[in-house]
Amino acid sequence: MIAAPRLRGLLLMAPAGAFVALAFLLPLAILLSGSFQAEDGQLGVQRYVQFFADPLNREVFLRTLRIGFLVTLASVILGYVAALAIVDLDPGSRGRVIGLVTLPIMISPVARTYAWIVLLGRTGLVNSVAHEFGFTDAPLRLLYTEPAVFLGLLQLLLPLIILPLVSALENVPRDAVPAARMLGAGWWTIFVRILLPLSREGLGVGGVLVFTGAITAYITPAMLGGAKVLMLETLLYQRVNVTDDIATATVITALLVAMSVVAKALLNRIARGRPLGRGRAR
Amino acid sequence: MTMRPWAIAALVAVLLFLLGPFLIIVGAGLSAGETLTFPPEGLSLRWVWAVLQVDTLRHAFAISFSLAVLSTLGALALGIPAAYALERLDPPGAGAIRALVTAPLVVPGIVVGLALLRYFVIPLGIGIRPALLMSHTALLVPYTVRVVAASLRNLRVDIEEAAILLGASPLTAFVSVVMPNIRNGIVAAFILSFITSFNQVPVSLFLAGPGVSTLPIEMLARIDFTYDPSIAALSALLALLSIAIVFVAERLLGLSRYV
Repeated sequence: MIAAPRLRGLLLMAPAGAFVALAFLLPLAILLSGSFQAEDGQLGVQRYVQFFADPLNREVFLRTLRIGFLVTLASVILGYVAALAIVDLDPGSRGRVIGLVTLPIMISPVARTYAWIVLLGRTGLVNSVAHEFGFTDAPLRLLYTEPAVFLGLLQLLLPLIILPLVSALENVPRDAVPAARMLGAGWWTIFVRILLPLSREGLGVGGVLVFTGAITAYITPAMLGGAKVLMLETLLYQRVNVTDDIATATVITALLVAMSVVAKALLNRIARGRPLGRGRAR
Repeated sequence: MTMRPWAIAALVAVLLFLLGPFLIIVGAGLSAGETLTFPPEGLSLRWVWAVLQVDTLRHAFAISFSLAVLSTLGALALGIPAAYALERLDPPGAGAIRALVTAPLVVPGIVVGLALLRYFVIPLGIGIRPALLMSHTALLVPYTVRVVAASLRNLRVDIEEAAILLGASPLTAFVSVVMPNIRNGIVAAFILSFITSFNQVPVSLFLAGPGVSTLPIEMLARIDFTYDPSIAALSALLALLSIAIVFVAERLLGLSRYV
């Protein structure tokens, strides 16, 4: 027999749970189960074998992993640089700077990504400056390249790691760093031995958001990568829209979900303070 | 501790990287020239004016706006009771439902749209607008649950217990005691959800169809054949609108605490 308030709680949660299950989980489960079914209806991994047999698919898969990894790495580095500077500010300006970091999250990704087209296009700022100073004869192709996608994603996702790092670093005891310095620790030692371990949780949360955001992004690779620099999401869209290839779409879906789950597990491990490849921390 | 100059320089560089593109888009959108350039060839509002006259964009704006309002209201209607139950009533299976209602955050949006289209919308013959509304509502439920739960966590339980001891029914206690105290959280959830739905592309990508397109999708479709500053002008307009909303919300209720 369940107590009355708990039963009431169940009833209050039921509509949200039922709606999400029906409008979201059920169709997704059907789609994903299709990826383990061969054309003759047999269960198996045949579709995955077919997917990876195609060199273009392999290239797109590896590129998505590569871009996801590089964007995460760069955001961790820039995120720590920014967050460490932010927690050193006085409380008033800290709030204002956090506001400035939050602001881009609220602006349409299409609008933000369009700025890179203005910057990197054939008649964009970079090309005009390069031409003006005589560095180049013909305009450089900067758009529809991997670095363009990398920059766009980094700009889009960086706030998502700065904010959790700031909240994590705010909780580091105030005198820990001066104490370590007094005892002769250099800044690298202070970072690795004190700040990094004490901000692991923020690193885990932010890292997952950035990596998942990067590998599942659609707008940025569509606008800055186009058909030349396909990532898994743009490949999925192209396959479904051009050839109605649902088989490939289901495999890509499963791959993206699996990559997110693995990244989350890895980063949670780091966040809990167990370095990879070593046993339980003593 | 005094700030080292290199730390300030690095922070300014990061902020410039984050906000620079926005300044560029405003500059390019206010250009008086015929082509998309930065720095702009003179300043004018001609492209802002021109883009406001385009019928398909106005139509798409209306759809995006009503879609964002309706899906936000739907997600609040589902999310507020769920958040209250999760925070206060310790229901059986809370962990599973918490995982379920936050699941839309971790699955790629484009896939959500595709799955819904294939196995729900087409077989049942659902129209484009209800399909968009369903998908956006499901997408926003995690946000409303999270933000409302956070503000419930900051509210002392005693006051509603006092109300119930004094004879209020649980419903009366919620409506006249709890609701007024979490109003800021609900408003924050509304703004966050509205902006998320309004800017959403991947979920809507497969669901949008002939004649019914959202504003960001219409913009994406136009980029490939637009060489004048009109899309930049529209982007600048949207960015300024978001900034205005965020600025007012931040002043009134400290929105950044909920993001």
